[in-house]
Amino acid sequence: MSDDITTLNGLEDGSNAVVHSVIGEDAIARRIADLGFWKGTSVTLVRRAPAGDPLEVKLRGFRLALRSEEALRVRVVPLSEEAG
Amino acid sequence: MKSSSPDSSRTIRFALVGRPNAGKTSLLLAMTGASGLKPVNFAGSSVERVESQVIRDDVEFQGIDLPGIVSLDPLTRDEELAIAALRGDEVESLDVIVAVLDATRLSVELPFLQRLIVLGRPLVVALNKGDLAAHQGRVVDGVALQSALGVTVVETNGRLDTGADGLFEAIAAAEDSPPPPGMELDADALTAEVTRGKGVQTLWTDRLDALLLHRVWGLPLLALLLYGVFQAIFLGAEPAMGWIESGQGFLSEAVAGWLEPGALQSLLIDGLINGVGSVVIFLPQIILMMAFIVLLEGSGYLARAAFLLDRPLSRVGLSGRSFMPLMGSFGCAVPGILATRIMEGERDRLATIAVAPLMSCSARFPVYVVLIGAFFPASMAGGVLFGLYALGVVVAALVAWALRRTVLKGASSVLLMELPPYQLPPIRHVLGAVLSAVKAFVVMAGTVIFLTSLVIWALSYYPRPMDIHSEHAGLRSAVMAGSGDEASKAAELSRLDAAEESAYFENSYLARFGKAVQPVFAPAGFDWRITVGILAAFPARELIIPTLGTLYSLGEVDPGAHDLATLEEGAAAPDGLRAKLRAARDSDGNRVFDPVVALALMVFFALCSQCVATLGAMRRETASWRWPAFAFTYMTALAWIAAVAVHQVGRWMGWGA
Repeated sequence: MSDDITTLNGLEDGSNAVVHSVIGEDAIARRIADLGFWKGTSVTLVRRAPAGDPLEVKLRGFRLALRSEEALRVRVVPLSEEAG
Repeated sequence: MKSSSPDSSRTIRFALVGRPNAGKTSLLLAMTGASGLKPVNFAGSSVERVESQVIRDDVEFQGIDLPGIVSLDPLTRDEELAIAALRGDEVESLDVIVAVLDATRLSVELPFLQRLIVLGRPLVVALNKGDLAAHQGRVVDGVALQSALGVTVVETNGRLDTGADGLFEAIAAAEDSPPPPGMELDADALTAEVTRGKGVQTLWTDRLDALLLHRVWGLPLLALLLYGVFQAIFLGAEPAMGWIESGQGFLSEAVAGWLEPGALQSLLIDGLINGVGSVVIFLPQIILMMAFIVLLEGSGYLARAAFLLDRPLSRVGLSGRSFMPLMGSFGCAVPGILATRIMEGERDRLATIAVAPLMSCSARFPVYVVLIGAFFPASMAGGVLFGLYALGVVVAALVAWALRRTVLKGASSVLLMELPPYQLPPIRHVLGAVLSAVKAFVVMAGTVIFLTSLVIWALSYYPRPMDIHSEHAGLRSAVMAGSGDEASKAAELSRLDAAEESAYFENSYLARFGKAVQPVFAPAGFDWRITVGILAAFPARELIIPTLGTLYSLGEVDPGAHDLATLEEGAAAPDGLRAKLRAARDSDGNRVFDPVVALALMVFFALCSQCVATLGAMRRETASWRWPAFAFTYMTALAWIAAVAVHQVGRWMGWGA
């Protein structure tokens, strides 16, 4: 496991990570957290839409589409291939 | 008087609360049956929600299905209304909250449950979709969950109709008990405690998504699917439309056989059978359209389409979330506009509402089908139809783009949208949606269209001035008294009868009115009859079909209609209105319609705002008359300009002359 913190948007397609935090305190940040992105949550960046945006992520047993603008607010710790 | 037991006055109101896709509506259907479901307005607004009631063991249960919410901080209008209903005045009359939790994603459901418990209402948990969770390799133990939470947990399954009995008992018991105390809980730890099994890694939804959301193939597959749907609606409805048309012809002949020619016969045949029949014929297409929209939505694919199209749609100031309302507007803009409530951003939502009526709805479809069938060769039909749908989409994109740069200026909103697992929508849901569309359509055909047909018929049949009668009576006597064999006299007499009907028609109230307004539409090449059709269609655009049906049915005695070419055309396509439109001549014997006029008329219909129901829905959803007024003005202006442009360019190029 790597200690490099990146954002959801910085992940490769198909790679896994663990949520570190959500940046900001506004309604959107609260909503992102309420959807299931809290510390320790495992997420997979499944794919990006054909135009490169939005992103599809899988977490806690469901799939969510979100734009890169919001994905930039989710800080994650990537899991290396061996650990994933 | 019926006797009542002491308990029969007991009423329990409960609300189903849960995240989107938790299965609330299916559960309410399973509990109370589809017959009890009815849309009800939210307090303080006229936005609808679904309510249902059922009486069991002398207790009346009233269930409310609130829109899905993720937390108690609303981001969308839907959530705002649901949360206001939970928190506000309605809580006083709400006895029990039924928290519908999706067992396939229990760890995100638990923090939400905690917030519902904090509201301090009697509460029951409906643990839903346990079968789906088990299928995914995770078995959730409802009993363990109940003892950990200290709240009654009932395992339910909306799709298989299980769990409803237990849930009613639990609701009744909860009403008498104090609300559960708030608690601290670790969602992840508790989920691990009550769940057995690790879960399978790859589900078939993932495999399907790998294809349908593919970077290269995703969009072409979406285009192909939509093309297939429209094709299926077109072809699938054809046989049923033929049956309705033959039934209409059979009825007309039967009436003509029974009744003497005169006002009553004309009323029944020209007014009712032709007027109402020409609209009922589109019922098969409306059924197919609704069925496909419900299938696409219920299967989970519409959310994928929104995912694929979010970027292109945000380029013109809309969002992926706009796709479903816009797609629905191809059926009817009214539910399409209501569907914008799921959108996160107010500016995106208003732009979507403003352009939704530009999608060619099922009421425009009949106009296209009749005119394309009558004036374009079969080889061009698909292309022309596609062009008309594309015209609406392109103009919608331009209008949305312009709005988002002017009155709706501002940053784009967020998109936080669940992609639900693929499923076969329960057949009941599809049938329910189709039935309610059919019901609405039949009611409309039976009331609005029935009455409009009567009014149009009366205005086009009367006043029947005496001087026309005496003039023709004089001519008839002259023929009778004249020389010549019987056969030529009979032919001359029937020609005179036809000329008399024609003269009455040209002098009718409707003809006078149409001729007065016609100069406005003259640059688009429309005669006074088309003008009347357009004016009659402002309340609801499909009214042009019965109007033209009645007008050209009364006008068909025109002598020009009996030449050989017309007869041949009529024989090649013996389909009521189409043949009549092709045969239509003005008083100088020139054709009323040609492909250019037909195209100008279709373009006018593609763009014009001719639907009172849509304007009403806009008013409700924007809480202002400004948006419907704006939509009506811009659409009608664009429609006129485009129709005139088509006609002028067409004539200049020398088409159809």
